[in-house]
Amino acid sequence: MRAVLVKAIADLRRRRLQAAVIFLTALLAVATGTMALTLMSQTRDPYEQAFAAQKGAHLQVGYTVTDPKPLENTPQLIGAAVAGGPYLSASVQYEFGSQKVYMLTMGRDNPGGDIEQLRITSGRWPTNTSEVALTRSFAELNHISVGQQLKVVSVPAEPLLTVAAEVVDIDEGTADLSSQHAWVLSSAISALATKSDLFYWMTYRFAGDPTDAQLQAAVNEIRAALPPGTVGGSVNYLLIRSVFNITNQIITSVLIAFSSFAILATAAIVANLVTGIVISSYRDIGIMKAIGFSPSDVSAVLLLQVLIPTGVACVVGIPLGTLGSQPLLANSAQALGLAYQPTFSPWLDVAALVGALAVVALAASIPAVRAALLKPAVVIAKATAPVGRSGRVLRALASAMRLPRPVALGMGDALARPVRTILTILAIFVGVVTVMVAMGLPRSFTAINDSETNAGHVDVQITRSPALPDSAVMNILQAQPQTDYVVAEQGLNMIVPGIGDAVNARVFRGDATKLGYLVVAGRWFSSAGEAVAPRALMGSAHLKVGDRFTVSVSGKAVPLVLVGEVYDISNLGQTLFTDWSTVASVLPDFQPFNYRIKLTPGADVDAYVRNVAAAQPDLLEVRKNDTSLIGPVKIIDNVLFAIAAVIALIGIAGIFNTLLLNTRERVRDTATLKAVGMSPRQVMVMVAAAAGLLALIGGLIALPAGVVLNRFLLDLISGSAGNDTPPSTYGVFASWELIAIPVVTLLVAMAAALVPGRWAARTNVIEVLHAE
Amino acid sequence: MSLKFGLMGLLSKEPLHGYEVKSRFEEMLGGTWEVNIGQIYTTLQRLERDGLVRPAGPRGDRGKLLYELSPEGRKALEGWLGEPDSGPQQLHEDIYVKLLVATRIANGDLQQLLGRQKRAYLQRLRDLNRLEERARRDGRTDLARLVRGALLHAEADLKWIDELSSERFGVEEDGK
Amino acid sequence: MSPLVQLVDVTKVYQGGITGALNGVSVTVEKGEFTAIMGPSGSGKSTLLNMVAGLDRPTSGSVVVGGTDLANLNETGLARFRRDHVGFVFQFFYLLPNLTALENILIPAQLKGNAADERARELLDRLGIKDVADRFPARLSGGQQQRVAIARALINSPSLLLADEPTGALDTHSGEQVMELLAQLHQQGQTILLVTHDAKLATRHAARVISVMDGKVVDDARLETGEHAPSEVLRLRSEEAAR
Repeated sequence: MRAVLVKAIADLRRRRLQAAVIFLTALLAVATGTMALTLMSQTRDPYEQAFAAQKGAHLQVGYTVTDPKPLENTPQLIGAAVAGGPYLSASVQYEFGSQKVYMLTMGRDNPGGDIEQLRITSGRWPTNTSEVALTRSFAELNHISVGQQLKVVSVPAEPLLTVAAEVVDIDEGTADLSSQHAWVLSSAISALATKSDLFYWMTYRFAGDPTDAQLQAAVNEIRAALPPGTVGGSVNYLLIRSVFNITNQIITSVLIAFSSFAILATAAIVANLVTGIVISSYRDIGIMKAIGFSPSDVSAVLLLQVLIPTGVACVVGIPLGTLGSQPLLANSAQALGLAYQPTFSPWLDVAALVGALAVVALAASIPAVRAALLKPAVVIAKATAPVGRSGRVLRALASAMRLPRPVALGMGDALARPVRTILTILAIFVGVVTVMVAMGLPRSFTAINDSETNAGHVDVQITRSPALPDSAVMNILQAQPQTDYVVAEQGLNMIVPGIGDAVNARVFRGDATKLGYLVVAGRWFSSAGEAVAPRALMGSAHLKVGDRFTVSVSGKAVPLVLVGEVYDISNLGQTLFTDWSTVASVLPDFQPFNYRIKLTPGADVDAYVRNVAAAQPDLLEVRKNDTSLIGPVKIIDNVLFAIAAVIALIGIAGIFNTLLLNTRERVRDTATLKAVGMSPRQVMVMVAAAAGLLALIGGLIALPAGVVLNRFLLDLISGSAGNDTPPSTYGVFASWELIAIPVVTLLVAMAAALVPGRWAARTNVIEVLHAE
Repeated sequence: MSLKFGLMGLLSKEPLHGYEVKSRFEEMLGGTWEVNIGQIYTTLQRLERDGLVRPAGPRGDRGKLLYELSPEGRKALEGWLGEPDSGPQQLHEDIYVKLLVATRIANGDLQQLLGRQKRAYLQRLRDLNRLEERARRDGRTDLARLVRGALLHAEADLKWIDELSSERFGVEEDGK
Repeated sequence: MSPLVQLVDVTKVYQGGITGALNGVSVTVEKGEFTAIMGPSGSGKSTLLNMVAGLDRPTSGSVVVGGTDLANLNETGLARFRRDHVGFVFQFFYLLPNLTALENILIPAQLKGNAADERARELLDRLGIKDVADRFPARLSGGQQQRVAIARALINSPSLLLADEPTGALDTHSGEQVMELLAQLHQQGQTILLVTHDAKLATRHAARVISVMDGKVVDDARLETGEHAPSEVLRLRSEEAAR
């Protein structure tokens, strides 16, 4: 055993560069893998973790009562283990800067307790009636900091509140995705709303994790026990969790896919390297056997040469990966509105270490065992570069194409060793596919986001106060010369056959085709009685495009025909879209509250926002249409970018490694070529041509695979958000890009060839040829 | 010795006149050994005296006598062929003696002598090469083999000279 | 007539274990000469050849081949010089194993950008290896491989053919055939510089033998080529004939 170790270490010292290549690729792969594992262990269910840590409420119910006394019995009634409240609450409109926002504001005296804990991230809990606590995510999104003042504009007194604390609320959702809460002392709340707008809010937590049906039953029980009309609305934790899980699923699947890619690419490079070591040390192996190394000793020497640098790479890479994942975790926790704690898990790191060594050992073992089984005589005789007809056809082809001879020779060299060729192409393939996904997926996300936010179709969004009639709003808007078109909108609950809960419908007045929603199948509605819906709603209502069905609106039957499938992930695909005329007949007093406005080309959006807001400063909430990506998508984009960069590097290392092995093995041929008059430049061209051919093949195979993988991931993501992928978002690559990708791959490979190429070009003919 | 057995070898195939023996002998040796007819006759007579050859039939016209190999002669020839060439190594050439003399009088400086000798050997090698070539061209494989032997000898001599040249010569211990 | 090769006071010092240093060597080779460079291993004879081929640069002194001072050429220039003016034949052939015989022969021409198929066919024919043109080196005998290597050296019609122990890896018969080939080339006017440690081979075809020892030229012999009577060259003697 000692002899094996001595020999392995001596060989490592001799083959420092190969050891360095193993170290570098293993380091990149191990670091990425550890990062992925850490992120996965965290993102597996951060909501559940946070929910447990902050003792989140399973059920929350709002009550429109003036006396909270009867509510005290509700926890026993439904068998809740812990209850919070009743908190006197109101929907309060705040003004800060040029923005006005409604937030559900609760009177609460203590952020702790056994349910719905609020973790204070900065400041302290309000101590007087002029202080307010906000969620951290909301505060950061709107650049509000502790100590700043907000004006309450929903009561005539317009009191000023000072921000005392930023907190993490388990229910807050992403700052720009769901409604947000604010908290004041219970004694302060009545001053912030008119008496009729006040209601009581209660939170309930059960011993286990109740199901949706159990929670629904609990709400029904409360409803039955209290006077009619008392229960205003309810929120259950499953709904909130499902919103989180979509992004987690996406992050997790992307991470799994690309970590496997990184590991696959590394395995390919390691197998390639060990094959190279075996070939270059045929003579060595023969001598080892001749002096009494057993086959398993020979394998051990070869394996150790790979495992030692891999082990070192693990020692460096695992802490690096763990460390590297922390900012992402913090970012993810932040974006998810959850608490972030630094994470380090020893068992996970051990798993990464064992996994990395196992994968590398496995990849190395095939050539190592093959080497062990070689007969000494054969081994010594075969200690030369490969012989045979490889590349002959290719060379003939190159000649026919009138390519210079060095190029043809290089192309032949590229294919001289089939296993090496395949492994190298695999590494390149994986690199290119990853880069394509990293390019494509963010574009798809952007396309989907643009559709969701009507980017390019809506410049300004307005919400009116009930005090201002719709006609007044339209008058203001039409008075603006920059107004191109206005699509007014209001939400409406409908009972759809086959679905228990009421379905949220979006009813548009105006030409809603202009909003730019992506139509997956069929067409957008064009007349009364027509509707479109996303996949999830179609699924739960068992509808397909062309079906007729009847919905119930305020107890009145409305016949509809589903004319198309729309892409909409905002409500997990559970929203119905229809035209104003469909409901106008049954609800003559139906009024829009939201207005989406497109301005004439070249109009100044900010000026427009100011002008419209100035027309009715208290009764209109006017804002620019925010089309920026939501936090989780930005994270996925960043993670994709980072992993793609790493895997691309690994791919480059793969090419470099193969060229290194080739040039080493072919040093005598190179010396011969130089002796018969090949110039240094021609030698470099030869090496670069080998790299170029491998890259071209890898790139060309990767091209369709990248397109298909993009589609697959997009389908996965759309599917988890209750939608089908719109065909138009598949085509993320321009045709010039599809040509550019293999060309760039080729150029990068040739750049990677520069170093081994230069070495080959500098081959000392005399040393090589006269060392026989 | 070799002339004697050379003649016996020629006569072992067929009876020959004295003059025929001379021309056949010279042909066999490809001109590397010139003998005069007197030597041939003296040798033949000595062989006849020893009973190794005998006249084959009466003296012919112009007094020519055919010789043939006697059974004793055949026996003696086979004995000679079957015996390896042994005895002390023979060095015939002057250079060996010159070296001994020069070592004594040239006070160790042999380079000139060796240089001249080297050229002579190179020329000899070249000439022998030509001779071998000619023998092969003439289909005389036996002769070519003979020249090959001489070539290898000459090469050995050349190597010897090279070895001497690269030696540091001092006066040999007491010049024995 | 100007000399084809002119080495003036060439010195080569090697650091480390490489033997074959040169110490003030001056040699001139005329066009059309068949010169042998002889010497024991490590004497510097191969170094001398490498200098002439531009594979190595002298530490001091000048190497001028065909009027070109090799000191004025950079790496690319030297490569071009080798390609265009020098054919090199090695002891171990050094054919590219993954190329056929014909492809091997064509390489120097193709590096030049020439399609020399015609000339390659002619050389294959002349060197008696027409039948093995499409074989890979592994399937050729040593003698055939060396002929392919010679054809490769001749493809660009170099002014100088350099051969470093061309028969060293061959059996006697193949070796003789290869030497015969070189002699024929010489008769057709090819200037040849042959490095060998075999005096029999050196003197067989080369009319000039340069002896190198310890990095120095110790002898430069121009041998006579005239016909001699056998008895002037070789004399068998018996004790009877010895005086």
